[in-house]
Amino acid sequence: MTSVADTSVKKSIIVNATVEHAFDVFTAGFDSWWPRSHHIGKSPMEKAIIEMRVGGRCYTTQADGTDCDWGQILEWDPPHRFVLAWQITHEWGYQPDLSKSSEVEIRFTADPGGGTRVDLEHRHFERMGPEGDTMRVGVGGPGGWSSLMELFKARAEQAK
Amino acid sequence: MVTYQHAQQLDALGDPTRRAILESLLKGPLPVGELARGLPVSRPAVSQHLRILKHARLVVDRPEGNRRLYALNPAGVEALRAYFDRFWDQALAAYKRAAETRASETPHE
Repeated sequence: MTSVADTSVKKSIIVNATVEHAFDVFTAGFDSWWPRSHHIGKSPMEKAIIEMRVGGRCYTTQADGTDCDWGQILEWDPPHRFVLAWQITHEWGYQPDLSKSSEVEIRFTADPGGGTRVDLEHRHFERMGPEGDTMRVGVGGPGGWSSLMELFKARAEQAK
Repeated sequence: MVTYQHAQQLDALGDPTRRAILESLLKGPLPVGELARGLPVSRPAVSQHLRILKHARLVVDRPEGNRRLYALNPAGVEALRAYFDRFWDQALAAYKRAAETRASETPHE
């Protein structure tokens, strides 16, 4: 048996700042550190924005003037914790359906050594698989990322 | 966020021939000769790609008679996890720098 926890990504870092500041930079200051190369827009990314409330959008603004949604705030407990839906399809486009999105939880706690411990968990990759109950190609062209996601789907289903 | 441009970060999957091989194997295990028949590359080239896919743990092989059968590694979900594992290392390092730079500019303690 493989549980969901086995395929989640967990990261912890210590930031030399208060909990409030660490939370503020992560969220309000999201654009100041988000890797510029990481977006799903069709043109260069300009700004990365998290709307700081439950239901808030996570999106980028693009050089061509469009906005590009990629997530949504599911839980919001400043300055300690928040959860966002990572709304990416199996073809790396926007996924409007939350039930098919992976999610990321970030927690901020005071570290005994001073500073703030930031714990991140990215989980439920198995939700990203395409629809359908057969392990067939069928989606996307040759070499499409869909085939990779079929692999993951197969693995997730075998693990049940 | 993942972009098409970051395909190369999953190195083994950054090559169209290797993705085509994986796609072929979705239908079931195949020997190298049959894989090569469906692809516009030589059999030695397919063998080389299979070595890379094996090394990346996306493909497994087993002997059957006097040939080897290649199949998808059911543990291949590890590749997706590994991608995000690396991605978050990179992103959180950038975040830590930003938080500590701004912390020194506007002290909170």
